[in-house]
Amino acid sequence: MRLRLHHRTEYRYSEPVSNNANELRLQPPTTLWQSCESSFISVLPGTRLSHYEDLNVNVVHYFEISKPHNRLVIDSRATVNTKSKVNFDRLPYGFLHRDLDCCRSMEDCHPFLQNSHHIEVTPEIWRYALDIKGDSEDVFQTSYAIMEHIFENYQYQSGATNVSTHASEVLDGKAGVCQDFAHAMVALCRSLCIPARYVSGYFFDATRGHHLRGSEASHAWVEVYIDTFGWIGLDPTNNKVVDDTYIILARGRDYRDVAPVIGAYYGAGKSAMNVSVDVQRLDG
Amino acid sequence: MFSGYQKEAFFDEMFVDGDGVHFDHYRTLHERFKDLDAAELEEKRRLVETGFLEQGITFTVYGDDQGTERIFPFDLIPRIIPYHEWQQIEKGLTQRILALNLFLHDIYHDRNIIKDGIVPEDVVEGAAHYRPEMMGVDVPQDIYIHICGTDLIRDGDGHYLVLEDNGRCPSGVSYLLENREAMKRAFPSMYRQYGVRPVDNYPELLLKTLQSLCPRPGQTPVCALLTPGVYNSAYFEHTFLARKMGIEIVEGSDLIAIDGYVYMRTTKGLVQVDVIYRRLDDDFLDPTVFREDSVLGVPGIMDAYLRGNVALANAVGTGVADDKVIYAYVPEMIRYYLDQNPILENVPTFLAWREDDRKFILDNLEKLVVKAANESGGYGMLMGPVSTSKEREHFAAKIRSNPRNFIAQPVVSLSRHPTICDEKEIEGRHIDLRPFILYGKNIEIIPGGLTRVALRKGSLVVNSSQGGGSKDTWVLYR
Amino acid sequence: MLSRVANSLYWLSRYLERAENLARLVDVNRHDALDAGVTLKEDSESLWRPLLYATCSEEIYNEAKSAKLEDLDVGWFITFSPSNPDSICQSVAQARENARMARDQISEEMWLELNSIHLFLQSAKAERLWRRQPESLYREIIKFCLLFEGLIDATILRDEGWNFIQAGKYLERADKTTRVLDMLAFMGDPDRGKLASALRSCSGFSAFRDEFRGDFTSRNVMSFLLFSQSFPRSVRFCLRQLDRHLHAISGTPEDAYSNEAERLTGSALAQLNFSSVENVWAIGQHQYIDSMQKQFNDIGQNIFETYVLLPSEIRSVTRQEGWQLQWQQQQQQQ
Repeated sequence: MRLRLHHRTEYRYSEPVSNNANELRLQPPTTLWQSCESSFISVLPGTRLSHYEDLNVNVVHYFEISKPHNRLVIDSRATVNTKSKVNFDRLPYGFLHRDLDCCRSMEDCHPFLQNSHHIEVTPEIWRYALDIKGDSEDVFQTSYAIMEHIFENYQYQSGATNVSTHASEVLDGKAGVCQDFAHAMVALCRSLCIPARYVSGYFFDATRGHHLRGSEASHAWVEVYIDTFGWIGLDPTNNKVVDDTYIILARGRDYRDVAPVIGAYYGAGKSAMNVSVDVQRLDG
Repeated sequence: MFSGYQKEAFFDEMFVDGDGVHFDHYRTLHERFKDLDAAELEEKRRLVETGFLEQGITFTVYGDDQGTERIFPFDLIPRIIPYHEWQQIEKGLTQRILALNLFLHDIYHDRNIIKDGIVPEDVVEGAAHYRPEMMGVDVPQDIYIHICGTDLIRDGDGHYLVLEDNGRCPSGVSYLLENREAMKRAFPSMYRQYGVRPVDNYPELLLKTLQSLCPRPGQTPVCALLTPGVYNSAYFEHTFLARKMGIEIVEGSDLIAIDGYVYMRTTKGLVQVDVIYRRLDDDFLDPTVFREDSVLGVPGIMDAYLRGNVALANAVGTGVADDKVIYAYVPEMIRYYLDQNPILENVPTFLAWREDDRKFILDNLEKLVVKAANESGGYGMLMGPVSTSKEREHFAAKIRSNPRNFIAQPVVSLSRHPTICDEKEIEGRHIDLRPFILYGKNIEIIPGGLTRVALRKGSLVVNSSQGGGSKDTWVLYR
Repeated sequence: MLSRVANSLYWLSRYLERAENLARLVDVNRHDALDAGVTLKEDSESLWRPLLYATCSEEIYNEAKSAKLEDLDVGWFITFSPSNPDSICQSVAQARENARMARDQISEEMWLELNSIHLFLQSAKAERLWRRQPESLYREIIKFCLLFEGLIDATILRDEGWNFIQAGKYLERADKTTRVLDMLAFMGDPDRGKLASALRSCSGFSAFRDEFRGDFTSRNVMSFLLFSQSFPRSVRFCLRQLDRHLHAISGTPEDAYSNEAERLTGSALAQLNFSSVENVWAIGQHQYIDSMQKQFNDIGQNIFETYVLLPSEIRSVTRQEGWQLQWQQQQQQQ
């Protein structure tokens, strides 16, 4: 699928701010399942933009606006070709819980079994996860059940949480938005020693917002590791196995690793943020 | 028909080498034209030309007392661009228009690029079309160039290079659309066989771009196209576009600015206008701010614009980006604002205001093309290799007296394309490409563009005012 | 609709109506000249004089003639002369210029036909044809004008622009019919042949025969061309149409008026509706027609002032709003 995306983030400050330094994780990577045809990030007021690659191999752009300003606009435009990784007739069943031990020593998986800023595995979470797992022996089956459980039992509700809400709060409150659902799912998976990572990105909503949730802003979902298959995406917000309607932006242990825009400024004023995401299909 | 074709030492769009081996994407075309006899060709040519003349698809040549209207000569052999090649162009143009817009916003606001020492301040302020009136003005959606025509050429190795940006009132898109109609009529089956990306949604995209600028959100925007009038060389294009978009085509006298708002004079009274697609240079826009003697403009329109009550496309002050000295800095802008390498390179450019460059230019006049920084349409140019020593002296004096206004470039041997000459022979003629970029809510680039062809043998000047013609440009689906 | 565009459409149609009437007039007159046994080349000024009179181009002709210091063919002068602003070629060129201004308001077909007749008339071919077979050229022009009328009928929206086109057509046509009448008056006591010619120059020969059973008297012809209820070129018919279209433009009911052009048209129409040939005779043919033509000029001027000039006279929003308010109130009361 050839998808064009435009992600605009606009901040307005009640009083002029200065030394506004920001990091952006807004460039879709080229992976086995998606190729980023083009990606342009532009910042207003115009200033010098630079970039580096972080530990999770995400490209990070950064800039600093030193002069006082009332408004900051960050535009990310990209064209991405996506492929579906999953054959829905042959989902990756067959990797069993008892074989999960091998993942501990894998460099790729190790960080995604540990606690991170938003996620801490507790005995309560482990017991909760065991209840969902039931008598499943299969890692994919269990992961799928966790996704389904969250989709069915959690309330999609913006305003119930904020960007810094911890996974355990979500598991208690059973409400939130895609970021929270993904954190909850990552926590539950990790408690069962399933390597799980947090993915930020977008998806193309062919139903135009009627059935799927989270297409009006940047989205988040989860990838779990299945031996012999690799990382597979599961979206607890929409109860979907990730296919070619999804564009991956960045991956990390949790939101903190992948936050699309993160920054700090000098100034007493309040800031108001306005985000819009538009994903269009270019072919057929 | 290709039997006597001479590729010579140029990059040829169709032929790989001098032995008549052609690029794969030209195979079907080659087959079709190979055995075309003179009579059939003549018939097709007449079909197309009478069509153009009857529809009044003409342009006016300046400096001709009669106001003569001519058909823009059209060549029947289309230029074909494979999709992968086009993707690169599309990407490069997107990058460029983003950088140019960031640049324009920057120089009319904080001037970070000047402070960081990338572009010198006096180069910016010395640009003929720099508008100090725009300093600190926030334009709708922060976009300056909504409609851009960037001229591309291919060098001897077939690399696409940017020759110039036209960020004021680029014209030619109507020819592009009409050329396509003509080709579809003349070669319907070859057209179908090829699978060509359509261009006919341009007016619709243009209208969307204009509507996205409306300063009255929630309203159905009232858009109008402001033309200098019937005698403008591109008047046909103005009516063509206005008609296809279903908006009014207005002249300066049809508009009136009252207390910071702009209205159209209609038979039912005054109607407020939200967005003006103006095909009028800044100079003529408002006699109370710019040229006093302008009778084409609307007194008070700038006041309404600065108050944000009417949107203009393109914005005022974009001419800075058309300056050929500024052009030389575009690759640096791309690095600075977008943190990327330019996808489309510039033609190497020497700037006469730099002392080293100037010395080099003056020493090598007979090898270089010298251009005035603010002229377009192929005027104010010295073609070194074909110049007389008198012309060179004349230019040398001009360069010395006003170095800021001159640049020089090596002669790029533009790529050639088989073209029907003298109504029967096919010979190679030099071409360029002007794609049209729309920047509104999205950035849209119509697949292809206007391929202009220098019809005079050996000529490198493709401008319609100087013996140029055009071809249809086919971007393929694959 | 843009005032300027309305104006262009109005003039586009006036100029073509003018060209058509001229072509017919010249053709008929030329025919008479042949009957009288003079050829085009000969000095036939006495025969052509009424024609120059009818087209109000005597002065320009005399000027052009004295400037040229030789014989100036009247037929050529009326058909081609660039120095005659009302020549057929010039009228068509003006129509095309106006069409260009309003190109986005007319159909592709209209532009195509108009442009090709213009290119033809400007070419040497047209003059060659005229020298060889003048009637073919005139027929060509008349045919084109009829075709154009058909295109107006068949290809454009019945909107405001169309009403301006129709208004222009009928005003011009009324004016041209009165000029033919004036030509008759100029000739004093025209014979049957002259009366027939006058009818032919208005395409009214057979229509007249049907209505008056071929009773060729000055009185009947005058009555027919001025007062006929159903003949589409009679002055009354034209004014009735003009009145209708002007009301369609403003939206005012037909028995009222909202601007000076409507008032003048209604008054001229009423005058026609309530007068007879006897009145004309009593006032004097020429005087009567002259006053008609003056009224037409006033109507034309007021259409211009109402729809084209008026907004430019406004200097501030408040006045504009005042004007709109007044206008709306007038409509509400009716």
